[in-house]
Amino acid sequence: MSRFSQDKAERAIAVVLRYGSLISTLIMALGLGLMLLRGPALSIPAYHRIRLSLLLPMLVRFDPAALTEFGVLLLLLTPLFRILVAMGSFALERDFKYVLISLGVLVTVLVSISFAIEG
Amino acid sequence: MVWLVTFHSSLIPGFLVSWPTRTQRRKAEIGCRGETCIRPAPTSAFGALHPLTMQLIELGILGLFAGAVGALTGIGGGLIITPVLTLVAGVPIHQAIGTSLCCVIATSSGAAASYVEHHLSNIRLGMTLELGTTLGAVAGALVAARLPREVLGILFAILLTYAGGTMVRRSLQAEGPESEEVANYTIRHLPIGLLGSGVAGVVSGLLGIGGGPIKVPLMYLVMGIPFKVATATSNFMIGVTASASAFIYYARGDVRLLITAPTAIGVFVGASLATHIMRRTPSRWLVRLFSLIMFYFALMMIWKSVQGGFAR
Repeated sequence: MSRFSQDKAERAIAVVLRYGSLISTLIMALGLGLMLLRGPALSIPAYHRIRLSLLLPMLVRFDPAALTEFGVLLLLLTPLFRILVAMGSFALERDFKYVLISLGVLVTVLVSISFAIEG
Repeated sequence: MVWLVTFHSSLIPGFLVSWPTRTQRRKAEIGCRGETCIRPAPTSAFGALHPLTMQLIELGILGLFAGAVGALTGIGGGLIITPVLTLVAGVPIHQAIGTSLCCVIATSSGAAASYVEHHLSNIRLGMTLELGTTLGAVAGALVAARLPREVLGILFAILLTYAGGTMVRRSLQAEGPESEEVANYTIRHLPIGLLGSGVAGVVSGLLGIGGGPIKVPLMYLVMGIPFKVATATSNFMIGVTASASAFIYYARGDVRLLITAPTAIGVFVGASLATHIMRRTPSRWLVRLFSLIMFYFALMMIWKSVQGGFAR
């Protein structure tokens, strides 16, 4: 593996880590800010599961609670994106042993996510 | 166009809209069962500070403190957030741990990014050990759900004591292992490393920390990884480890929107400020002071566990 391609992979991973948490924090702040601006009297849904069919339409309408929820979910998903980027870079380097290892980690996290998705 | 209109209507202060119909419609939309909904307030947000506003501000400030202390002492936010939330803010311990897991992802990411950019993290080693930490984290989170509050409190107190002791010992050492080779090293005892990572994952899933206090000594002392690389690689693994258990807490309803979001924002800002303003390592006395705080937290956690004083 060349130093150059590893550099690029490291930079891509750093970008995901840095901006993933930054963007999700900003979205959470926007959601909470809107919640306070509109008056705190809105009912806050008890999110126990990821219900995309409910979350997405509310997100389009800039619902404060849905925005905040989206920020939290994005934060929790940032590590998943990081695994995907690392896996992609291993694949580009044709280092298939580490593609498999990444896949193992990815599957474990996906199993964890499957607990949270409403079936 | 429709989108624009709805966007602007969402910016209109609440008192211009009739509350009951709005709230009822929203309840119907999101299937809110009532008990977890915030009660409609009679006044607007521009009047006296609403309890929700107070809660957000309070949690934001606590998060700011926890994030700054975590970054300054290098122990990460996880060990501070849970005691602060349970002891100061009266948050139920399971929800505090769920919140802590989310905050740990937010705080570790910034540091992890710069370690990766400086080629200090061993990404391949990190990914391999993550096999252990994620499996452990899922198991730990599933077990934590079945443990009573008091048991978690006592386990957390043990962890705090251990971490506080580590900090004291480190502050007593003459010099840290600074001038060592970070490029050439051979990884030893990988199977033990994987097993140990599993244990670190279980602890992380149980108690909502990143697992750094276990992974760093494991890599440094057992696997022969240079200290700096061990720290950087451990940090690299925190996010994935935490998210593997965070979703299980989320599924159980222990990631509460109005607790997690303000705390996470505070922790993120606090950690960023601490790392950018104070670039130097903290003085030994500061580290010792914070280790005293951790011993105090440990005592309080045991006291609360024995008294049964944890919030439900």
